[in-house]
Amino acid sequence: MRPALHAEWTKLRTVAGPLWLLLATVAATVAVSAVATSVVNCTASGCGSDTTKLSLTGVHLGQAPVAVLAVLIISGEYGSGMLRTTLTAVPRRVTVLAAKAVILTGVVAVGGAVAVLGSVLAGRLVLPEPGDRALSLADGPTLRAALGTVLYLILIGLLSLGFGTAVRDAATSMGVVLGLLYVFPIVSGTVSDPELQRLLGKFAPMSAGLAIQATTHLGSLPISPWAGLGVTAGWAAAALLTGGLLLRIRDA
Amino acid sequence: MSAQGIVVAGLRKRYGATLALDGMSFTVRPGLVTGFVGPNGAGKSTTMRVVLGLDAVEEGTALIEGRRYRGLRHPLNHIGSLLDASALHPGRSGRDHLLWLAHSQGLAARRVDQVIEQVGLIPAARRKAGGYSLGMRQRLGIAAALLGDPPAVMLDEPFNGMDPEGIVWMRGFLRSLAAQGRAVLVSSHLMSEVQDTADHLVVVGRGKVIADAGVADLIAAASGNRVAVRTTAGTAAMRVLAQAGAAVAAVGRDTITVTGLSPDRIVGLLNECTVAFSEVSPHRPTLEEVYLELTREAVEFRTATPPEEVAR
Repeated sequence: MRPALHAEWTKLRTVAGPLWLLLATVAATVAVSAVATSVVNCTASGCGSDTTKLSLTGVHLGQAPVAVLAVLIISGEYGSGMLRTTLTAVPRRVTVLAAKAVILTGVVAVGGAVAVLGSVLAGRLVLPEPGDRALSLADGPTLRAALGTVLYLILIGLLSLGFGTAVRDAATSMGVVLGLLYVFPIVSGTVSDPELQRLLGKFAPMSAGLAIQATTHLGSLPISPWAGLGVTAGWAAAALLTGGLLLRIRDA
Repeated sequence: MSAQGIVVAGLRKRYGATLALDGMSFTVRPGLVTGFVGPNGAGKSTTMRVVLGLDAVEEGTALIEGRRYRGLRHPLNHIGSLLDASALHPGRSGRDHLLWLAHSQGLAARRVDQVIEQVGLIPAARRKAGGYSLGMRQRLGIAAALLGDPPAVMLDEPFNGMDPEGIVWMRGFLRSLAAQGRAVLVSSHLMSEVQDTADHLVVVGRGKVIADAGVADLIAAASGNRVAVRTTAGTAAMRVLAQAGAAVAAVGRDTITVTGLSPDRIVGLLNECTVAFSEVSPHRPTLEEVYLELTREAVEFRTATPPEEVAR
């Protein structure tokens, strides 16, 4: 496993794409979060909304480059035919996928942490006096939201890696993953049935997973924060399992 | 059977309705360059993918030094291969491509620089591989195949896209690999490419082996004791020799082949009847002819191109 990890890390660091995509994640997350917090109205009694959640809202956009990076890690190799070289170097296919998953987890953890810390910092700078006090990582729920957001980004990466492995074609995989992430909330916004809306919120990978960002009114959420992240983890596990299984049985 | 080299035995594989491999069996022995030739679609690449554990088969085994590829811990130390020279990330330098491969086998960067030098890629090693010519990519692919200093090397159409200088280099290189005692398998759909390189030939068609013999043996078998006669008086010569009981055939503008008479007897007969000729020699078919003869049956798609296609 160690040589396979070393090889995947060397692959990732010797092309420019991954670094740019991680920087895009940081930039998009921080920028959108800063804009969102700058429009909130705060009074002396508070800001009247979940400022933690608001200051992390940029991951809605920031997750897209993570998904693209994760898909490209495998689909790029399918596209060029390089996957065959990879599999001749490491014939144990599950090891190949596992090595890719570990390296992806590592870089998304770093990129995600920078993005989240940047967003929290931006929130503290942008929000007026009473609102920014809530934004402290010493505060339990805020810390949970921040840490959970990094985990969420990792899970989105793993989900995308799984889809990319199963689907093979880069453009199709990206379409499927981004569709899965963004179409659910849009559909949820158009349905009038509150029961169905709640159900979508419970099982869609993005809305369920981002429940981890909520710090106020937890009782009214369709799903509790950690259970929500668990749903996203379930999606990622299912995608990776499917991808790994197909990778094993298919001719390369 | 010895556990050396590459041993392919009874491979059978089906793609939908097409039988891609139909009992493919042969051995690649150490110290020899084995040419793996056959028309496109004969199953050469599929066989190589099976050897590398990339494609599964319904029946049969492919073993490298007696072991299955998928069971090898650091496979590049056992067999080096080049299937598709263009299968790389265009944004990664040639050196970095070799570097990740080296790391996958637990090899140090030093080894990367050695193989780069060995294939003469130093000037381009740090440039992006996307800008390489096909010939340079082939050299990079050969470098990758040599990373683990393997006792067996398998190359799929390595002459493709090479300039004449590159072809000469490749031939010498393959010879030197065999001279070092490695088992070398080189596929090609063009006979002339392997003619001067291979010691042994495995000729395939429709997923199975048609001929498996030394190059010299194949030529000898195909010559069939025929004698070639160069003459400008072809018709007269053919009449004289046919009357003497020989089977004659015109093969070129001034060449006829004769079966059933010795060269001495032919010279005597032609002199007797005062038929002019310039040369009488045992017929030496080129490998090209041998190959065409052997694969004639096996060609799946004959070239029946309509004229307008040719014009384009």
